[in-house]
Amino acid sequence: MEDLFQKEVVLQTKDLTKKFGRRWAVKNLNVQVHRGDVFAFLGPNGAGKSTTIRMILTLLLPTFGSVEMFGEDLHRNRSAVLSRVCGIVEKPDFYLYLSAYKNLEIIGSMTRRVRSREIMEVLELVGLAARAFEKVKTFSHGMKQRLGIAQAILTKPELIILDEPTAGLDPQGMKEVRDLIRGLTTKREMTIFLSTHLLSEVEQVATRMAVINRGELLAQGSVQELLNQEPSDYFIQVSHNDSALKLIQALPWVQVLSSQTDRMEVRLEGGRASELNRLLVMHGVEVSSFVPHRTLEDFFLKITKGKTEL
Amino acid sequence: MLFWFEIFKTFRRWRTYISFTVIALIVILTEVVMKLSAGEVVHRMLRPFQRDFLITGNILNAWFVTAFIMNSLHIHIPFLITLVAGDMVSSEATSGTIRFLLIRPPSRGRIITAKYLTALFYTAILVIFFALVCVLLGVPLFGSGDLIIHHYGKFDIAFIPESEIPLRLFFAFAAAIWSMSVVASIAFLFSTLAENSIGPIIGTMAVVIVFLVLGNLPLDFFRNMKPYLFTTYMINLWQQFLNLRIPWPEIGRSAIILGLHNVGLFLIAFFVFKRKDIKS
Repeated sequence: MEDLFQKEVVLQTKDLTKKFGRRWAVKNLNVQVHRGDVFAFLGPNGAGKSTTIRMILTLLLPTFGSVEMFGEDLHRNRSAVLSRVCGIVEKPDFYLYLSAYKNLEIIGSMTRRVRSREIMEVLELVGLAARAFEKVKTFSHGMKQRLGIAQAILTKPELIILDEPTAGLDPQGMKEVRDLIRGLTTKREMTIFLSTHLLSEVEQVATRMAVINRGELLAQGSVQELLNQEPSDYFIQVSHNDSALKLIQALPWVQVLSSQTDRMEVRLEGGRASELNRLLVMHGVEVSSFVPHRTLEDFFLKITKGKTEL
Repeated sequence: MLFWFEIFKTFRRWRTYISFTVIALIVILTEVVMKLSAGEVVHRMLRPFQRDFLITGNILNAWFVTAFIMNSLHIHIPFLITLVAGDMVSSEATSGTIRFLLIRPPSRGRIITAKYLTALFYTAILVIFFALVCVLLGVPLFGSGDLIIHHYGKFDIAFIPESEIPLRLFFAFAAAIWSMSVVASIAFLFSTLAENSIGPIIGTMAVVIVFLVLGNLPLDFFRNMKPYLFTTYMINLWQQFLNLRIPWPEIGRSAIILGLHNVGLFLIAFFVFKRKDIKS
């Protein structure tokens, strides 16, 4: 049942293409987002992430290709489809001369009639209930970002599209937004499409991801699946380094990169971290830590051939 | 619903009230100065006719003052209209809120129509406010009476009895709203094309000023061009209600031409907006 639930496709792009003048901003993009995913759309600045999101949300017209949501063609059933979707494109902008409450009332009412209780509930969720009736121009960037999430979830959409939701936030603000995103999938069963160029963000919140560069899709799948395809580096701390080293050196799928008295750095073939851990424990070596070493960044740099700036 | 939200947003911005303040100041200043210089005003008014007519009674009354101020309608009101109509779409693009609107279920067609209707509503309210300030300040200051009016460039004077004036002024201001709606339509079209508010304001004023200048140049070439300039109908339309006899066919023709301008300009704005890529 869990698998069936996971496999329902809520968003699908079919050869989605956008050309600005002579430049292909997005080229033949095919991505699939399943219900319940926190889907990370990863790529360096200028990769085509925002252009894709703008096409998905009808802000840009595709040059070719199409977008399907909930099994329906977006451009044929725009109104019905968009009533089940919400999002933030780039930064959340509001009517600065109106209060947070009034902004949400106006924006929410464009989808359906929203009750005062619903507005206060989402403001409570993002921690802005106390400032509901203050003008948005008095809000900090972090507060506007949280208000952006409030407007995105106000009408209880099934799919939320967030374009770099932590951009410009301080570490505390980034954590708050990530916690909110996690809460939306776990507590409210919403599907999240999250564009970002922050690898740490993907590692912390995403279940599936797609990597895009120069408008083209480079990889797509579950975060673990993609990482396991490639050799990964780990820092290992063990109780008996010498015996552990002997054991590891005998394994053909492990390469020791460095070794010190109490820890070593190794490179493993994809997906074999748990196997190595089990072997070490079986041979009486206590493993106190087994930490991946920037695996997503390595993966990203490899598939984008290190030519991009993160 | 969309229309009411547009109205709400428009009338919650302080920029909207600049126009009302300016109009109030212009009317108050003009009427007070006219009151203080009543003798000079009457002398100038009657100078062309003093040899041929004997004119008595309260000539410098509220109706004359209102008609006098209305003559400046095509100068400052278009500018005040563009402040809001030229800002309807472009300000949302500048602030980024256009993205919030366009990712919602209502179609772009409905959104642009609601905004256009709001621009027309604002234009109407502005002209009505202008009329109310003129009359409500003018009547206590100058009193009532028959309207004697001389249209610039014509060799006749119109005498309109006091009993007919309220209805004629009502029609004149209604016609002024219709005339000014073309200015609103031009500003609105520019607003859908631009990403900032200055462009539509300057663009609209440039069009209005250039057309007014072309229509008034005393050369045959420009006189022949006059029927093709919307400003010709924009000014004539309301003035014709203060003629001795109201030329209904001419008024109807002017109203239709201005209406066609409105429809054409809105349709262009509609289709531009429908196909517009939102990159901001």
